[in-house]
Amino acid sequence: MGSLMLVLLLLLIIGSIVWYTRNHKARQEEPPSMGGTDPALPPLISGKGVRSATPRPAFDGQIVVSGLTKRYNGVTAVDDLSFVVRPGRVTGFLGPNGAGKTTTLRMILGLAAPTAGTATIGGICYIDLPEPLRHVGGLLETSAAHRGRTGRNHLRIICQSVGIPLERADEVLELVGLTPAGRRTFKGYSLGMRQRLGIAAALIGDPRVLILDEPANGLDPDGIRWMRDLLKALAADGRTVLVSSHLLAEMQQLADDLVIIAAGRLVAQGTVDSVLDSMAHSARVLVRISDAEKLTAACGEDAVVVTRENGDLHITGMDATAVGEAAARAGVVVHQLVTERPDLEDVFLELTRGKATIR
Amino acid sequence: MTPLDSLVISAAPRTGFAPMQRVRAEIMKIRTTNTWWMFSIGIVLVTAEALLRNGVSHHYDLHPALAGLDPADKAQALATAARAHTHAGQAAIASNMMTSGQFLGVLFAMLIGVLVVTNEYSHQTATATYLANPRRGTVIVAKFIAAACFGALFWLVSTLIDVIVTPIYLHSQQLGVSLADWAVVRSVLLNLLAFIMWAIFGLGLGTLIRSQLGSVITGIAAYLLGTAAVAVIFELIYNAYHHTWVQGAIVIAPAVASLVMTTPGQAFDRAPPQWTGLIIMIGYTLLFGTIGVQLTRRRDI
Repeated sequence: MGSLMLVLLLLLIIGSIVWYTRNHKARQEEPPSMGGTDPALPPLISGKGVRSATPRPAFDGQIVVSGLTKRYNGVTAVDDLSFVVRPGRVTGFLGPNGAGKTTTLRMILGLAAPTAGTATIGGICYIDLPEPLRHVGGLLETSAAHRGRTGRNHLRIICQSVGIPLERADEVLELVGLTPAGRRTFKGYSLGMRQRLGIAAALIGDPRVLILDEPANGLDPDGIRWMRDLLKALAADGRTVLVSSHLLAEMQQLADDLVIIAAGRLVAQGTVDSVLDSMAHSARVLVRISDAEKLTAACGEDAVVVTRENGDLHITGMDATAVGEAAARAGVVVHQLVTERPDLEDVFLELTRGKATIR
Repeated sequence: MTPLDSLVISAAPRTGFAPMQRVRAEIMKIRTTNTWWMFSIGIVLVTAEALLRNGVSHHYDLHPALAGLDPADKAQALATAARAHTHAGQAAIASNMMTSGQFLGVLFAMLIGVLVVTNEYSHQTATATYLANPRRGTVIVAKFIAAACFGALFWLVSTLIDVIVTPIYLHSQQLGVSLADWAVVRSVLLNLLAFIMWAIFGLGLGTLIRSQLGSVITGIAAYLLGTAAVAVIFELIYNAYHHTWVQGAIVIAPAVASLVMTTPGQAFDRAPPQWTGLIIMIGYTLLFGTIGVQLTRRRDI
């Protein structure tokens, strides 16, 4: 009976190995071939979530989110969201807490299944990308390493699992400045070090596309500047960089394009300038003047004039030229005349005002 | 150094066999934490304890202390000793010594199986794992193989100690049985099977119950208490209906199935044949594995 059982077991093991191998080979043949990152190749014609077997020319790294919706437990976290993220630029992904940013990024990265709609990278769904780490690097808030494992080993395991030489772990550690801490266990890492390790993991496959959720979390000012330089350099190199953040001032310095969502819906999309310009009507003029009452009277009914505690005036509804001319007509002396454009924070708060944040 | 200096494509094209790389990554995950050697120390301790216990128990079977026994007990003790001295009896003693540490050892194998999956969630490494390999079924299959490898490793640790101690013990008891006797070898191989099966069983359990604490407690309870609970239930059924097969059907409890699988001959009165144990263990493995893969595929991370 014992020998019979051993034979049975042997058959079972051989059977599973054969099945696994065949399955794997079939899968290797199935995914569309991608011509690497050669910029000389023609760009990919945008396809939406197609699982096509026809060869594709090149991986252009464009992220296309189309009608993306996620509902769970009766809450619509992401609601018919569509936007495009272009390569060669840093795109800031903004929204209040609970707006659905992380959920959207998880769906783009194949970690959560959309209720409806598609998200593609270079025309292909993440889970259909052959060797995804070589095309897309992702960092999510929940990315972590085993507490008892060293940072270096964490990276080596990722290399091993996708067939990248293990030495790459040391390269990316060096790149994010973690080499001295590489052989320490993850539980001793500060928040900033954990964040750097996550970025190192995202860079392992030298990806064309980076998708980073709150990468500046826990970084000190030096770290934030390092991150900004890194991401700008990556974008300048032609890569796609999608970054979510709460740090609006930082984003204004970093991003080329913006996607702003609130309550799971898109509220603005475009270049940073175009988004700021959309609120240009709320630009205001700051005036420091000898006689505030005279100027207020001279401004007319269209202008809204607010007198600040120190006597300065904030005028909206008139540009600086008109204010200057009004002051000349009134015969008051102007000490200072400045146009204050709304910054990203003003625009963001204006755009997302009244949208329920915690749902 | 500017940030881009080291961003050359050192990520050379994949060479090697992808499924094997995933398995090696899973093995690396276990190897790079302290779990595996702590468990190995545990295996050494439970094996040593079991060797001592079995050794003492067999010594008294072979050389019963007859003083002060009434005639009936004396006759029984002498009969036991005579049976133990036959070739089959010696082989049974050798087999038992050579598989010392199995009862608690397979528990460690099951726990490593549980940890292989639940660590991913309790340490939030699932994100990194599934970003690297978004086809989650392939990851789970790699985990099954890695868990089986560690089950085999634990068996090796336990068997190495047994294989050193057993010949010394047999010699000290003046028993002439060879360790190459097929009955002994078969027991040792079935023991390996048990370690592998329990590691895989644990992994299946981990995919079903993602909470580490939950699946560890369920697993230990199923192994240690489940048997007793199932025995009581089936005894009640038997008392009500008096079908003898009911007593054998207790084999559906995983621990009983494992016992039946690893015990040559009858594991207990009215025990079903040995192969039913194997079939039931494989059944559990496939059932848990299939449900686990399906759940893992659908769940959001």
